Amino acid sequence: MPQPASAAIEEGVFDVLKTVSRRPITPSLDSNLIADLGFDSLQVLEVIAELEDRFDISIPLNDVPATRTVGHVVAQVAGLVERRHTA
Amino acid sequence: MPTPRTMPEALEEAARTSAGFTFVSGRAESFVSYAELRCRAVQVAGSLRDAGLRRGDLVAIVLADAEEFLATLFGASMAGVIPASLYPPATTSDLPRYLELTSAILRSSGARAVITTDALVPEFERVRARCPELALVLAHASLRAACADPIDLPKIDDIAFVQYTSGSTSSPKGVALSHANVSANVHAFTGPACVGASNADVAVSWLPLNHDMGLVGMVFGALYSGCACVLLPPHAFVKRPSEWLSAITRHRGTLSFAPNFAYDLCVRRVKDRDMVGLDLSSWRVAGCGAEPIHPPTLAAFAQKFAPVGFRKTSYLPSYGLAEHVLAASFAACGRAPRTEEVSADALTERRIAIPHKGEGLSVALVSCGKALPDHQIRIAGEDGRPLPERHVGEILLAGPSVMLGYYKRDALTAQTVRDGWLHTGDLGYLSDGELFVCGRAKDVIIVHGRKYHPQDLEWAVNGLAGVRRGRVVAFGATNHGRPDRVVIVAEPNGTVVPDTLTDAIRRRIGDLFGLYVDAVALVPSGTVGRTTSGKVQRAATKARYERGELVADGVKA
Repeated sequence: MPQPASAAIEEGVFDVLKTVSRRPITPSLDSNLIADLGFDSLQVLEVIAELEDRFDISIPLNDVPATRTVGHVVAQVAGLVERRHTA
Repeated sequence: MPTPRTMPEALEEAARTSAGFTFVSGRAESFVSYAELRCRAVQVAGSLRDAGLRRGDLVAIVLADAEEFLATLFGASMAGVIPASLYPPATTSDLPRYLELTSAILRSSGARAVITTDALVPEFERVRARCPELALVLAHASLRAACADPIDLPKIDDIAFVQYTSGSTSSPKGVALSHANVSANVHAFTGPACVGASNADVAVSWLPLNHDMGLVGMVFGALYSGCACVLLPPHAFVKRPSEWLSAITRHRGTLSFAPNFAYDLCVRRVKDRDMVGLDLSSWRVAGCGAEPIHPPTLAAFAQKFAPVGFRKTSYLPSYGLAEHVLAASFAACGRAPRTEEVSADALTERRIAIPHKGEGLSVALVSCGKALPDHQIRIAGEDGRPLPERHVGEILLAGPSVMLGYYKRDALTAQTVRDGWLHTGDLGYLSDGELFVCGRAKDVIIVHGRKYHPQDLEWAVNGLAGVRRGRVVAFGATNHGRPDRVVIVAEPNGTVVPDTLTDAIRRRIGDLFGLYVDAVALVPSGTVGRTTSGKVQRAATKARYERGELVADGVKA
């Protein structure tokens, strides 16, 4: 399977964020999930579940607290997708 | 009514059956019989005695793992000490603030020991300096004394446990319940007049155990009835709501309770492919409570899951609160929820529930049923006198489930429990003897079944640069049919750009409570009034906000 380019991952993450958010949002890499995009702790977990499904990865819950911005999410997903392909 | 039992007596009895807990973790499941849990609890009890803890000492439990939490809770009880459950940290992102919150509770409760995970031991060691009475910080894993039998069993009127429902800072509030309280409530709601639980039942729950519905409703409900209890970690449910329904399917679950938001999450997030293989036909009691119940949510859930065997007659709407152990009223079992559509204007303006006749706005309310056997409900007007049916007033409760009091808070207890009546702060009315809950008189904010005290949010914001100290008000704006909207009104001191300050406020509340602030209103100096005793005028500020006099930032829910 070809490895998704980082642009594709970014797009996929934005798409998930927009789906999970119940208000219209325009995420950027600098957006903070809570302060800027209005996610609560429940929705952060929902985002994780959706990302796992879309990218076929497993995101360790221990890493979640470090995930503050959309950029962090994209980097984390990219890392996990990378590992899945090299595993 | 069965003979009242203490928690150790109930465990003792359950340990004679073959039933127990199934702890679900990812794809793995482990079975721990009530007899095995009892053995583990005895070890904890022995260790606590060895550590020098004695009858009447308060021990704070900060453990997220269900098995560890339960062994510690029962172990402490067997050792004659008073267990107190505290929220474990939600994330590690803002541990210093979490510890600040928690140490306020430890200080005010005079806790002698904290029992927590290996990882948190050094953190709690550091707060000991701020908590003079805190003598010991113990790792749960180290409590493994060789011990044959419990040493100092509690009596029926002793404190069973103290529940700190949310992190409170300026004035922590711990609900102290006696073993008699707990026993009366559990026997009443599991009894034949309500759930009718037997050893053939299987309880399935993902609810946190530091929440009354999780601990008393599911775990004690099962254990006191000697039936099986399947527990999932709360985050597993929130991440994938279908895990809850799969567990019910796998274990042929019969009893499962959850707040309204959980049913809503299932409607929105369980996908078609997750429906494959579900079978909810065994689920005979689907309890719903802990936050306002919305009829459209229940209807949508029933419709979505009817094809996999869910029956709307399984719904059991209920009303209750931690100060009353858990439940105060339950709807009749085996009946579809009874709803009433009433005029919204008459309800809020005239405080009367009048059936809606197609003019103006309406509110749909669900019956939470009648008082538990041997318990009483009264609706009181502002003068404290009982109101007739269909008149809205404060819900008062009396009977054997009314708490002993707030731990070490006698004045607050005296305000809350008067002449044997617990003043709940919730508003409701009776119709044909059934309770309809329609609002709150107290300042609690409820989001996703969890209660937040405005004082806590205000305290968190007060610590921020750019905010005038003591000029912050937090409240929940009522949002019909949805969770409360969380609103913060603050006076800036001009040292921080408004947008940055708004962000910082959201971030702080998000980090500390996992809560999103729907609206931040930065207002001119002097807007947030204070009472003569120096308290912020929360109700007055909220009223001004709801009249549109205070402008919030651009984010709309």
